[in-house]
Parts: sequence; C-alpha cells; structure tokens
Amino acid sequence: MSETHKSLSIDIAGLDRPPVDQTGEIAMEVRNLNLYYGAAQALRDVTMDIPKRRVTAFIGPSGCGKSTLLRCFNRMNDLVDICRSDGRILLEGKNIFDPDVNVALLRRRVGMVFQKPNPFPKTIYENAAYGLRILGIKDKKRLDEAVERALRGAALWDEVKDRMNDSGLSLSGGQQQRLVIARAVALEPQVLLLDEPASALDPLSTAKLEDLIYELKKNYTIVIVTHNMQQAARVSDYTAFMYLGELIEFGTTDDLFVNPKNKRTEDYITGRFG
Amino acid sequence: MDHDISKAGGYTGWRMTKDRLFRSVMTFGGLSVLIAISLIFFYLASVVVPLFMPAQLERVRPLEIHGASGQTLHLAVEEQARIALRADDRGEVAFFALDSGQVLKREPLPLEAGGISAFAAGDPARRVFAYGLDDGRMLMVGAEYGVEFRDTADVLGKPERIITPTLVYPMGKAPVQVDVQGRALRQLSVQHDGERSAAAALTADGRILLLDHSVRTNPITGESRQESTVSPLPPLPGEVGQLLLSVWQNDLYVVHDGRFVSHYDIADKQAPRLTQTVAVAPEGETVTAAALLSGGISLILGTDRGNLSQWFLVRDEDNVKHLTAIRGFEPMPGPVRTIAPEHYRKVFLATSARGDVNLYHATAHRQLLSRSLGSSAMNVAAFAPRADVLLVQQEQGPLLTAAVLNDFPEVSFHSLWEKVWYEGYPEPEHVWQSSAAVSDFEPKLSLAPLTFGTLKAAFYAMLLAVPLAVMGAIFTAYFMSPRMRGLVKPSIEIMEALPTVILGFLAGLWLAPVIDRNLAGVLLAILMLPISFVITAFLWDLLPRALVERVRPGWQAALLIPVVIAVIYVALQLGKPIDIAFFDGSMARWIENDLGWSYEQRNSLVVGIAMGFAVIPYVFSISEDAVFSVPKHLTSGSLALGATPWQTLFYVVLLMASPGIFSAIMVGMGRAVGETMIVLMATGNTAIIDLSIFTGFRTLSANIGVEMREAAVGGTHYRLLFLSALVLFAFTFVVNTVAELVRHRLRERYKSL
Repeated sequence: MSETHKSLSIDIAGLDRPPVDQTGEIAMEVRNLNLYYGAAQALRDVTMDIPKRRVTAFIGPSGCGKSTLLRCFNRMNDLVDICRSDGRILLEGKNIFDPDVNVALLRRRVGMVFQKPNPFPKTIYENAAYGLRILGIKDKKRLDEAVERALRGAALWDEVKDRMNDSGLSLSGGQQQRLVIARAVALEPQVLLLDEPASALDPLSTAKLEDLIYELKKNYTIVIVTHNMQQAARVSDYTAFMYLGELIEFGTTDDLFVNPKNKRTEDYITGRFG
Repeated sequence: MDHDISKAGGYTGWRMTKDRLFRSVMTFGGLSVLIAISLIFFYLASVVVPLFMPAQLERVRPLEIHGASGQTLHLAVEEQARIALRADDRGEVAFFALDSGQVLKREPLPLEAGGISAFAAGDPARRVFAYGLDDGRMLMVGAEYGVEFRDTADVLGKPERIITPTLVYPMGKAPVQVDVQGRALRQLSVQHDGERSAAAALTADGRILLLDHSVRTNPITGESRQESTVSPLPPLPGEVGQLLLSVWQNDLYVVHDGRFVSHYDIADKQAPRLTQTVAVAPEGETVTAAALLSGGISLILGTDRGNLSQWFLVRDEDNVKHLTAIRGFEPMPGPVRTIAPEHYRKVFLATSARGDVNLYHATAHRQLLSRSLGSSAMNVAAFAPRADVLLVQQEQGPLLTAAVLNDFPEVSFHSLWEKVWYEGYPEPEHVWQSSAAVSDFEPKLSLAPLTFGTLKAAFYAMLLAVPLAVMGAIFTAYFMSPRMRGLVKPSIEIMEALPTVILGFLAGLWLAPVIDRNLAGVLLAILMLPISFVITAFLWDLLPRALVERVRPGWQAALLIPVVIAVIYVALQLGKPIDIAFFDGSMARWIENDLGWSYEQRNSLVVGIAMGFAVIPYVFSISEDAVFSVPKHLTSGSLALGATPWQTLFYVVLLMASPGIFSAIMVGMGRAVGETMIVLMATGNTAIIDLSIFTGFRTLSANIGVEMREAAVGGTHYRLLFLSALVLFAFTFVVNTVAELVRHRLRERYKSL
C-alpha cells in the first residue's frame, strides 16, 4: 500500500483502519437527484448509495453542493422557500420525498449536526433530553438513562456529569459540538449527518471529535461533509467527491485518495484547485 | 513612509479628529437627554413637595389694643387682614388695625340697659354675632367693610385701598324679644343670611326657644316690615350647654348633659322636631367645645380629655338622617377649650386649656400643626377669611396674632388614596371632584379613581392589543413568507405614526355611536372572530392536498382576510335580529334598563378598541423583532431533531424571544398608561371606580388634560395635578425600566449565541 501513496499529498498509510467491508448493507439510496435554488441548479443527477454503519465523507470545493446534498437526507432544504427538487432518496426502500412522509419522523431517524455548535440556551441535561422531551417522554428515570447513554456515546459524560444543570452554553466549543452530537444520538437515529462538524473547533477538539466519529460508526451510519481532506481521509470509509453539483467520483476512501479515477478528483485532492 | 505610530498627521489625523468629535457629540447628546429627564422629574417634584409640608405659625406676637377693657367675647378679621374686630362683655365693639393695635373706631351697642347674659357668633363668613340679654331679648350685630380706592402719589401709581368698617343691625337696631316671659338668655346661637335670621336660645329656666326673623323690604316704597316668630323646642334632659345653628338654618344641634348631642330638624321653623339624641362621648367624658365647620354640615366636638371628633348627619336607606361619628383626630394634650373653623376650608383650630393650639383638616384627616402658645388657655380664636392670619385671646394675657402658612391642608395620604367619608355621603368613598360652584365646598381629591381609570384603560387596551400583537408578531416572524412579511411589518409600523388625536375623535365620534347602535353585533363579532379562525384552520386541513399545496408556504394568513371581513359583516348583520329577538331592539338600552347596569356610549369597549389599535404597533414591532432575531441555527437544530415547527416555536423560539416579548408588552403598557388624547375623547371622563366594560373612566393623563387649564397656578388643585403627573411619570418610568432590565438581563444570558 505504501508504494502507491507516495505520489499523493495526503499520506493515509499511517492510519490504523480496518479494511472497508465492501459487501455491507445500504442505509440510504440517492437516485437521480436534481435540486434547484430558484433557477440555479445546485445538484445534478446525483445517484449514490450510503453504506450502513460506515462513515461516508463528502468533499469538494466550496459551492459544489455537498452540504446541499447532505441537507436533502433529512429534508432540511424544505426550510428554504425557493428550493425544489426531483429524484428520490430512499430510506429503507421508502422515498423520503413522498407526500405521506412525516418530516418530523424522518428527521428523528436521520439526525443532523451543524457546522456551528448550536446547543439550546438550556441546561446540559435539557439539551441532551430535548429530542426525547419533544417525543412527549416525561418519565424521569427513562430520561436520565437516555441522557447518560447519549452523553457517554458522545464521549462527554465524564466532563459534564457533575454539572448537568449548567447551561449548555457554558461549555467550550468542542464540548458544545459533542453535546449537540449527544443530543442527536439520544434519539438513536439510523443515520447521522455531520455538516463540517469540526470547522469551528481547535485541533485538540477536532481530534476528540474524530475519535468520537470513529466510535459512533459502530452503531450509526455517518455522512460527513468536510473541507479538510486529511479529516476525510482519517475518519471516512467512503468518500464522494463533488464538483459543481455533480457527483464526480465515489468510492472507498482508500481508493479515492490513492487511485482517483477522475482527473478533477486527482487535481482536487492533490491541491491543484479548491 | 513614516513608521512612527505615535504620530498621526494628514488623513489619519483628520480621521482621529472626526472620531473624537463624534464621540463628544454623542456623549453630549446622551448626557443632555439624561439631564432633561432628571430636570423634568425635579421640576415636577418641586411643584409637588409643598403639598406635604406641615402648616406653620409665624410671627406670633402679642397685640395691645389701646383702651381695651373687659373680656373679649368675639374676634373677627376682614378680608384683607388689615382690620380686626373685638366685641367685649361690656357691649362695646372696637375695630382696630391688625398691625399696630390702634383702635380705628369704637362703638357702644344699643343694648338699652339690658344686662349681657349670653353671646353667640354666627358663621364667620357671614360676619354676624349677637348678644343675649337678661331680659329675654337679643341684639344681632354685623360688621361691614366698605372698600374704596383713592389715587395716591405712590411711585408705582397703585391706588390706596381705604377700608371703612361699620356696624350694622340685621334685625334692627332695637333688641328683639326672644323670650316673652322675659327670662335671661343663658345660651344663644344665631345665623343670618340675607333677609332671614334665626336664633336659638336657652332661657334661665331651661326652655329652648327658636326665633325666626325676616325683614321684607318693599322695593317701591322702601318700607321694610319685620316678622318674627318664636317657637318653643321640645325640652332636653340634663344641663343644656352649647347651641349650634347650622348656617342654612335647617339644623340645630344642642350639647347637653355633658356628653349628649341632640339634633332638631328646624327646616320648618313653626314645627321644629327633635330627631335624635346621640351620646357623643363615653361615660365620664364631657364635651367642652363644639363648632360647625365651614359649610355648616360637620360638627366638631372637643372633650375634657382632649379628644376631637367629627360628626354629621348621614342618610340611611330609608332616607332617615342619623348623626354619625365620622372620624376622630389626634387628641389635644389637655381639655379642649375652643374650636375655631376657617371661613371656607375644612380646617379648624382647637385650643387646649393649657395653651396648646392644634390645626386640623377634617376631610384629609390630618393634623397640620401642634404648638404651644404659652400656658394660658385661649378663650376666643378667629381666622382671617383667607386663613392667613390667626387671632387668639388668651385668658390671662394679651391678644395674640400670628401669620398662618397653611396653603395645602387638603392633601394627605388618606385624602388621596383611601376611602374618605365626605360630608353628605352615605359611606366613605373614593371621589375625585376638584371644584364646585360654592367656595366652602369640600374638595374631593382622591387619586384612586383616576389611577383606577388609568389602569382600566390600559387593561382593556392590552386585552385587545397583547394577543393580537404578540400572536401576529410570532406568526409574522416565524411562519410568514419573507415577501409577505415585507408587506405586513412596515404597514403595521406605519400605524405608529397615526396621531392619537385622530384615533381619539374617530373613536369618540364615529366608533362609539356605531358600537352603541350595534352592540350585539360587535360583541358577537369579537366572540366569533377567534372561533372562526379555528374553524377555518380545521377546514383548511380537510381540504384536498392538491389545493392546499397551491398556496405558497407562508401566505396562508392572507386567506384569513376574507374570513375576517365576512365574519364581521355577518356578525353585524346578525346583530339587528338578535337585538330585536332578545333585547327589545337595542342591547345597549337592554343592559341599561333591564339589567340595571350603568352603560355609557363612550365606554371602555370603545377605548379598548381604539387604544388597543394605538398600542398594537409598539407591541407588534418589538415582539416581531424579538422572535425574528432568534438565531436560525437554533430553530434548525430543533427541527433537525425531529421537532415540529410548533414544538420548535414553544421550546426554543418563544424561550429565546420571551424577554423581547415581555419588554414589548411593558412598552405597550407604558404607552397605554400615558396615552391621553384617545381616552380623553373616547370616554365620558367620569372619575368612577367600576370595572364594567360598559362604563367610562377618567385617567390621570386625561384629568391633567382637562383640568390643568382651570387650576389656579400654585394652588392645591394645580399641585395635585402635578402630583398625578409625577405618579404617571413614576409609573411609566418603572414599567419601562423593568422592561429594559429584564431585556438586558436575558440578553446577557443568551449573549454567547
């Protein structure tokens, strides 16, 4: 392996990563997805499969549509007035754009974490319990358990267990981001969408977050958008390269970084544009 | 290139100068605003503070009247407080200059050899007094002061005022026989009013007689004819003390048997009636002084234990009058010796047997002054008509004069805020009635009904404005499409610019009669509108999805406009038949006549709608900003967790926007409380305390607007209006400050977002 890496600017040889299971199941399928903001087309005929319990990274230059694609997975684009789309995204065989789909239920199963940490102005406990509260769960014991599980899952428990009633805003940026992940994890979603989750964090917090992602993929399908190719290389099993709204190349991270099949992919990951 | 960063020249220097200039202009502007507000506050306070100052006696000095002999029985001062009168027990009256004591005129009375056995002074404002003689006759004497102006060589060219005192005899110069049996008169009380005089007298053998005397002058011949009748009054047990005739000659109060007061109804002088006998003091206590306050309604009694109390006749449900104890006053340190009322106000002076003088205001229930003027008891006391000079005669010692500084006796916490038992009222009440046609009326200065009116106006306005404005703001900021929001928000904010005087006259002249005619319809519309919204929303949900999706998201609210118009139209159309079917043609009249509620055309409903309309833009605008400024990444965060838009609204958006909404409501409240023109024009401005939506009210601000121009500058009324301004100022200041503090604190809390 080490031979082939030499020509690349990114050295992933040192990473200790199990080989990708190529025969895994599929969590979400994207089929011929087009998306328009008013007259401008943001996604062009995207078709791809998101493997289950794997980390899939979307990379590409700014404005390539990677965040837009991510936001399609839980229909957050619905909030944009002028946005319309065609094509299908299947979650367990069901098209999430069907009119009978309950968006709130979809989002419960496809959680999302944003670029900027956005804890609610509530206590740490209430932040972690938010998703369960809106489900109408009031049983204190059940909430306590779920909160602890979520915070442990997000590797935050040890840092906050003694200050559960402090404001979520009193945490550091990295802790806030992990709290937000805990908030999403508390609902035990099938898919977790991470939209540049480390871009507002310092290197140490970023490292912790990446460790967390590594842990999370044991239970969750993770889709991550990142600007940082090293991060994509470090954390993801699969990588999709997007450019001007098109999915240029999609494959295992090792393949894509080591043997990019497309010229533009190679140019991008070797830092010739971006 | 110059690399010295400590030096700035050329363009950079000019930039610095501009920066400094703007900073100082800003600082100056900000400070000016603060100073202006403080100045307003201090000005208001400086006008108000004298109201609460205690009264003072100044320049207390003895006055030697040249050639005076005998005991002083009566003292009186004329209007300008330059000349005073003294009547003594030898039947001589002397007018003397108040400043020097120099006697201007001395006149022996034509008592025709009768020995003086009783003396009485009438109402001080009527300037009469009378001597009772030991042969059963009496002589009534009055003082008159002729005023003429003579030009003088004064530098200022001010004409000199010449006052000429004369004595007059309203019942004729010859003493009038009261007791045909010719017994001596032991007690006497007189009143004189124009042509009619009355006297009550106690004879030496214990009979009480009532004399009714009138002088009729033939306007052509100038001949005058006197008529007088004497009626015996039903006798009373025990030793009879002071007799007190009311100034209108309708009532006679008699103190007897130490601690009892009996009341005679003498409206019909030929048939006087003893109506009641009331024990006015506990056993063992004796009434030592009694006097009627100005106006002749209230009786002030003083006892040998120094207690002072006020009594007057109170009608019960059966229209029977009862002499009732109204209030007691701070007691005197010793037995009460004399009680002297002021001429026009409800102030009285009480003196003790040990030389103390206390000043009280009856209605305000306030002791204005307590002072000792030596150790001698005072026999006689008199106020000048303008209550600026006091004359007292010491038992052992000279006459004392004093300047009285007592401009605002009517104001006390009791008279401003508590229920006050006013003369002639069946029970204590909150009343605002600052002026009347007569000069000796009792001013009713309760700020309670005005404050209540202010809060009532604000309440009904907020009842309309808060739900509409806050919910509208939430919808506009959170659900509405940006384009529609761009139309709606500025339109509502333009409403702010509407002059309230226009809203006021529209409300008073157009809306009030419309609501009056269509009361059933209007109430029905108010009831039906929210219900129709819910029904419309429900029907909307039932519509086929294809149809629903043709309406662009965020524009659904526009669909309610025809619903609102239709509901109002239908309700107003239904109003007439409802009126006819249930309310005999008019709901307003039905409320008034059948329910017996008070109903005014310009009522709180009208004000609620008009002022609610005026307040909505303020509340809406600030609330909308608060909701709109909730960070989008928080709402997205909530939505991404599977919360519905409504859950997100309640759990995240409102939580964040609540301080802003709270302060919006507070600002609206401050507006509603201070609003003047709408409440002035759209209500009847009656100062009543009544929560009903169908009655009007008078607010503090409207009261200032109505009465400020008729209040004498510097007077109690004037300063009281300033006090209400101060109350208003304090209220809005507190409300706005609380709003700002809450907003600030919560903004601090969410600062890191």
